[in-house]
Amino acid sequence: MTNNKTVTHFFPPKMHPGKMVVYVFLGLWSAFTAFVIFWVILSSFKTNSEIFRNVFSFPKKFQFINYATALSAEKFGLFFLNSIIVTSASVIILLAISAPASYVLSRVRFPGRRFLTSLYVAGIGIPYSITLIPLFVIMTKLALINTLHGLVLIYVSLSIPFTVYILTGFFSSLPSELEEAGIIDGCNDFQVFGHIMLPLASPGLITAAIFNGIGLWNEYQLVLVFVSNQAKRTIALGLYSMQNSMEYTGNWVGLFAGVTIIMLPTIVLFVILSGRMISGLTMGGVKS
Amino acid sequence: MKKHRAMIITFLLPASLLYLCFFLIPTIWAFYYSVFDWSGFSSEMKFVGLKNYRRLLLNDPLFWRSFLNSIIILFVGGFFVFFLGFLLSVMINSGIKGKNFFRAFIFLPNVIATVALTTLWAWVIYSPQFGIIGKTLNLIGFHAASKFLWLAPNNVFNSMVIAIIWISVSYYVVLILAGMDKIPTDFYEAAKLEGANQFTIFRTITIPMIWDVVIVSSVLWGISALKTFEFPFSFMSSSEDPHLYTLNVYLFIMGFGKRQPIYQLGYATAIGVILLIVVIIFNIAVRRIGGRDRLEY
Repeated sequence: MTNNKTVTHFFPPKMHPGKMVVYVFLGLWSAFTAFVIFWVILSSFKTNSEIFRNVFSFPKKFQFINYATALSAEKFGLFFLNSIIVTSASVIILLAISAPASYVLSRVRFPGRRFLTSLYVAGIGIPYSITLIPLFVIMTKLALINTLHGLVLIYVSLSIPFTVYILTGFFSSLPSELEEAGIIDGCNDFQVFGHIMLPLASPGLITAAIFNGIGLWNEYQLVLVFVSNQAKRTIALGLYSMQNSMEYTGNWVGLFAGVTIIMLPTIVLFVILSGRMISGLTMGGVKS
Repeated sequence: MKKHRAMIITFLLPASLLYLCFFLIPTIWAFYYSVFDWSGFSSEMKFVGLKNYRRLLLNDPLFWRSFLNSIIILFVGGFFVFFLGFLLSVMINSGIKGKNFFRAFIFLPNVIATVALTTLWAWVIYSPQFGIIGKTLNLIGFHAASKFLWLAPNNVFNSMVIAIIWISVSYYVVLILAGMDKIPTDFYEAAKLEGANQFTIFRTITIPMIWDVVIVSSVLWGISALKTFEFPFSFMSSSEDPHLYTLNVYLFIMGFGKRQPIYQLGYATAIGVILLIVVIIFNIAVRRIGGRDRLEY
């Protein structure tokens, strides 16, 4: 009873009880996520013995040294840099080749267009682990194992289906009047694409860039196969290796610092772009 | 057609070449490798016909365990993903304040690296030493429940499925909400005037109106559930606990190993072929059952 009374203080008196259940449920769900993230960030500033003494306490003194150790001794600084290079190069190349292809597939009529579009989209349904061993053979022959550019090549190739799927959705939703106006004004095919259609499709390009960027930043299965040299690791693989050595090192705070380093960039990006990402997912994922 | 030829070719060529050489051809090549006995990238390949498949299907309990685990993730996990997905979507869409805030917050786990999420679940949430579930239960007086060993061999798979559900729900909530946003509000108002309750409205208006979304979401869930790899592979940390094997994990372990390389390359590739076939069967089934859908392939 007393419990009931305190709760009603937070809500307008006439609130429907069903609505209160909704707020409590959604509130708890969000609070759980927030708490876990907050806990790991906070713990990354503690010492190992502090974590064991009291899991819910604040750090007595913020141990920035955990981050210094992670970045230099554990080489997370280098891995971070590798991830930046691989992710940005992959996203740029991916868009540079997928946008023109998607434009042609969605706006130009030619024989075999439907077949080709289905062939592209079919890639979404292929679990790419089936390609790992053949790809390993190809990459070895091309001497691209253990190189960042080899990793970029694989990331780009395997991300093409999803990206083409999103971008064809965007391109086909654009009005054709502007395209026609461009042709009347004497633009050639390439100018119509570059000056008119590409700028119009920029929300789609941004959506594809964000989703691929976050996905590739977080990816570790492929890099685990194609990179064994420590100097070429990405941050996700770095964290995976750190997890694996945890039973020997017992360096929990270092692990938590690593987790914070890998997740903070994507969380910050999400906080800035969440509106755009969610509407982009809507348009790309379930286009009509 | 003729006047666009230059553009069609230059625009399609780079993407098509990469897609063909580094995705489609390796996929087809996998079928070829799967009929060889091949134990190492530098060793000889020996043609064995369907022996790898026979061994997998008739003589390999670990394969069947991985298969079963994948199927449990697909159906049991899928049930909860969609049940919670609809529940949360209806809640967020019920005219509450802060709709965008809750939607964004619930989506958040999706942007975090899986390998970070496994650290959170294995060591922050479930850990027997300082896991926050145990500590919280203890704090509010459930001392016996707080001793529950989430990561013990018999529990670890279920614990993992819970975590995967939590991560995945968020994605489908956003898809379902996107579908719901397109339903005209007068449909709901008319139904309310007729005296329909929430459940009737959900069953007779919401579900039929967003059926496209349901089908596309089921297809996407099927694909991502069946290729589950990153979570179990880093959740089992340094051990190779078969309790957590999925088809994709087993493929990886047979192909590349975890601690020690195994390099049963033909055998691992055969697992990949079976995985692909299971994905295709699931997709056909969803489309047969679901009727119309718009993800064309």
